Amino acid sequence: MVPIYLFTILFVIFPLIYMIVLSFMSRAEVWGVVMDFTLDNYKKILEPLYLNTFKESLQLAFLSTSIIIFIGYPFGYYMGQLEDKWRKRMMLLIMIPFWTSSLIRLYGWIIMFRSNGVLDMVLMGLGITEKPLKLLYSYPAVATGMVYALLPFMILSVYSSVEKMDWSLVEAARDLGASRTKAFWTVTFPLTLPGLMSGVILTFIPSMGLFFIADILGGNKIVLVGSVIQEQLTKGRNLPFAAALSVILMVLTSILIRLYRKIFHTRNVEGLV
Amino acid sequence: MNINQTDKHKDRNKKKKKSRNGNRNGNRKFPIFYIILITVLMYIPIILTVFYSFNASKISSVWGGFSLTWYEVLWKDREIKEALGNSLLLALSSCFLAVIIGTLGAVGMSKTTSKFNDLISYLSTLPLMIPEIILGMVFLGIFSFMGLPFGMFTLIIAHTTFCIPYLFIMVSARLIGIDKSLEEAARDLGASQIRTFFDIILPQLVPAILSGVLLSFAMSFDDVVISIFVTGPKVNLLPIKIYTKLKTGITPEINALATIMLAVTILLVLLSNWIGKRNQSSMS
Amino acid sequence: MKKIAAILLGIMMVAGVLTGCGKNTTNDENGANQTTQEAAQTAEATAESTDSNTTALSGELNLYTWDGMFPQEVLDGFEEETGVKINYSNFDYDEDMLAKLEETKGGDYDLVIADDYIIELAIKEGLVQKLNKEQIPNFGNINPLFQSQFYDATNEYTVPYGSGIPLIVYDKEAVGFEIKSYEDLWNPALEDNLAIVGNYRVIDGITLKTLGESFNTEDLDTIQKAGDKLLELAPNIRLISDSNTQDYIVSGEVSAAFLYTSQVTQALEANPDLSVCYPSEGLGFGIMAGFIPSQAPNADAANAFLNYILQPEVSAKCFESIGYYCTTKAAEEFISPELKDTLVVPDTVTEGEIIQNISQEAEDLHSEIWKKFQEACD
Repeated sequence: MVPIYLFTILFVIFPLIYMIVLSFMSRAEVWGVVMDFTLDNYKKILEPLYLNTFKESLQLAFLSTSIIIFIGYPFGYYMGQLEDKWRKRMMLLIMIPFWTSSLIRLYGWIIMFRSNGVLDMVLMGLGITEKPLKLLYSYPAVATGMVYALLPFMILSVYSSVEKMDWSLVEAARDLGASRTKAFWTVTFPLTLPGLMSGVILTFIPSMGLFFIADILGGNKIVLVGSVIQEQLTKGRNLPFAAALSVILMVLTSILIRLYRKIFHTRNVEGLV
Repeated sequence: MNINQTDKHKDRNKKKKKSRNGNRNGNRKFPIFYIILITVLMYIPIILTVFYSFNASKISSVWGGFSLTWYEVLWKDREIKEALGNSLLLALSSCFLAVIIGTLGAVGMSKTTSKFNDLISYLSTLPLMIPEIILGMVFLGIFSFMGLPFGMFTLIIAHTTFCIPYLFIMVSARLIGIDKSLEEAARDLGASQIRTFFDIILPQLVPAILSGVLLSFAMSFDDVVISIFVTGPKVNLLPIKIYTKLKTGITPEINALATIMLAVTILLVLLSNWIGKRNQSSMS
Repeated sequence: MKKIAAILLGIMMVAGVLTGCGKNTTNDENGANQTTQEAAQTAEATAESTDSNTTALSGELNLYTWDGMFPQEVLDGFEEETGVKINYSNFDYDEDMLAKLEETKGGDYDLVIADDYIIELAIKEGLVQKLNKEQIPNFGNINPLFQSQFYDATNEYTVPYGSGIPLIVYDKEAVGFEIKSYEDLWNPALEDNLAIVGNYRVIDGITLKTLGESFNTEDLDTIQKAGDKLLELAPNIRLISDSNTQDYIVSGEVSAAFLYTSQVTQALEANPDLSVCYPSEGLGFGIMAGFIPSQAPNADAANAFLNYILQPEVSAKCFESIGYYCTTKAAEEFISPELKDTLVVPDTVTEGEIIQNISQEAEDLHSEIWKKFQEACD
């Protein structure tokens, strides 16, 4: 336990303090900050322009997390019931694509969906469509990319809690006359909830920050908080403002996760928040 | 197809042994179909990547005929090979550290009641909530403040920091609802704490640790944003190379690299399968 | 579980072999290089009487720039000739590089190649050291057009390495009319059919040009006026992308694109039928240049490398590979005839305006305008 305390203090708390301190400083002329306390960075976030990016990011994160739950939960659930041999194979089968660079995979999707791309060729070849569809650089394209990138997190989390589940409880419920659906909702689901929760956390949080998917599949037209932070750090050279945006993003995510936990009444969620 | 058959087979066997097993094994067709469908969808971009690695044309939108040129280009690319080695080393070291720190942390916290536990476990997962780019920038500042030379060392620290949460979350989730009676029994029988950990607790945690390792390995092996800030002048990493190469134009060389890496992974999987089988048969 | 353990072990072994390999080869190279180095030194000492200042080079050269800025043969050639091992590492944005230099106080890296405006800032911050021109006898090969610019008025710090002018590339048939100016990009006929690069100073800049203003105006009202006009461009935008933008025009995703020079070169290479427009409102141009950070561990090697890439033949090879305008006058005659048109530019190029650093308020306004524009595009 000592190592995690030590590591967390040195490389999480320390940087965190640094970040928070930065967010209250003023920007230097060329690069960095000057020690000049100010709240301007936070005031600036309240401008509709930036509030709107937060709204967009949240919307997208909610949307993709919901889709991921719908696709990933059943997958993990079924996978956890496969024969032992196949479970291991599936686990690897799911992970293998994710050991390839995410950028390469994104460009794989572009080859698939772009005008006159593979999908268009197939559809037009079959006579289903006549003109190339313009599928890329749109909201659905970005959401698809997010779902694709984060799905394995959900699958693996759900899987790991299904896998350790005590099936005799379900059988007991069935013995007592519960229908299959009822047995699922009263026994299986609560037992797999911790897995679902960690899945949500592992997908929701990164989906707030995965701006490069929005940049590549959305053609830079959908601006997420992550992109703003990146732009402020690079082209804008505004370190304090970027830090303030990050602090707000972090606080927001923490609050949402806490709320989520309240709604689902799960106290035993891996000690998070 | 195979899944279907073996499972059906299993079904029949089970039904002989146990008359009622409907919950687990009834209506298997849909789940299998579903799993196959989603898996195939996940592999589409990969298949396209492999396909276009044999494209003679440099531009991915034009099919210039079958060619192995890009494999030749890749073979001659010294930087890519170096970067690949560095990235593997980095991912393995940070996963290794994260497994130790994350698992011990999760187990330790489940055993003790300190008011700091909640706080530390929250904080240790924070790196997931901070956007990568600012994390990279902050690390850059902190490491230079600490006087650490930029290079493999700083990379390993940074990567370990964002790998720990995956291990920690996975292991903690697993620890909840693990059967405590086994552990107590072992302790009652006089097993030392260390012995109990290795013989009783650890085996139960293995699936969670594995998921955590698989995820964090993938994250580390794929990270560009943080690495670009904390790397030194002498350490080239594969994701950075790929990213910067993609910026200037998608060369099929990158596709060729992805293909080879995919092939090696699959080969390793098959090989380990084979070794596993041989071990099993030699043991019985 | 054994299986997985075996896989991990396997991966570890591969990693070991690879890194082992990497190290071995570098060691071998170092060994081999040392011998070639000695040979080179003796050769230099005897052959080059003009260059009396040849210091013995050794060690490593930490080169820091974007990917693909040098063909492999040039890097190999330098290593062979001098025995210096090149560590080529990459950054993504100019500002990432600046951050790294600030944090390492100008140490760690020996040679950086970056964009004009960031060099001005780096020099201002004291992160750049003067070139040792005695070690760069080929300094005279530089095309003076690209010297004495705002970022290095006295040519003490930098060696230009490539120049570019963002241009409009379009498919005449698909567009249906001839594009002559930036203004034409606003033509409703281009609806959802235009790809642009993602640099807001460039895009806001061309909007300013359509209003007859300078890229670098600091007048907030003028910038705002341009911002309003830019919003009207939104319906035409199919995508905004800084990387690979040329791919989209080549694949037919869009019928017109506003591209950086290297992208223009690549697009034309892939599809020579595309048309190029030199907008009538005036061109913008940019220069990339190499400089040596103030605390560079091996400045000698950096000077030597700059000298090496200024040799006419080597320089020609470089520019053919990176696709930017040639900034080495002496290299022009060595550029292959089919690329000459695209890489060697007429003297009028410098009539274009360079995008420079402007006041903070103006810069912030540009950034805000851009954000609004992006949202309008969605």
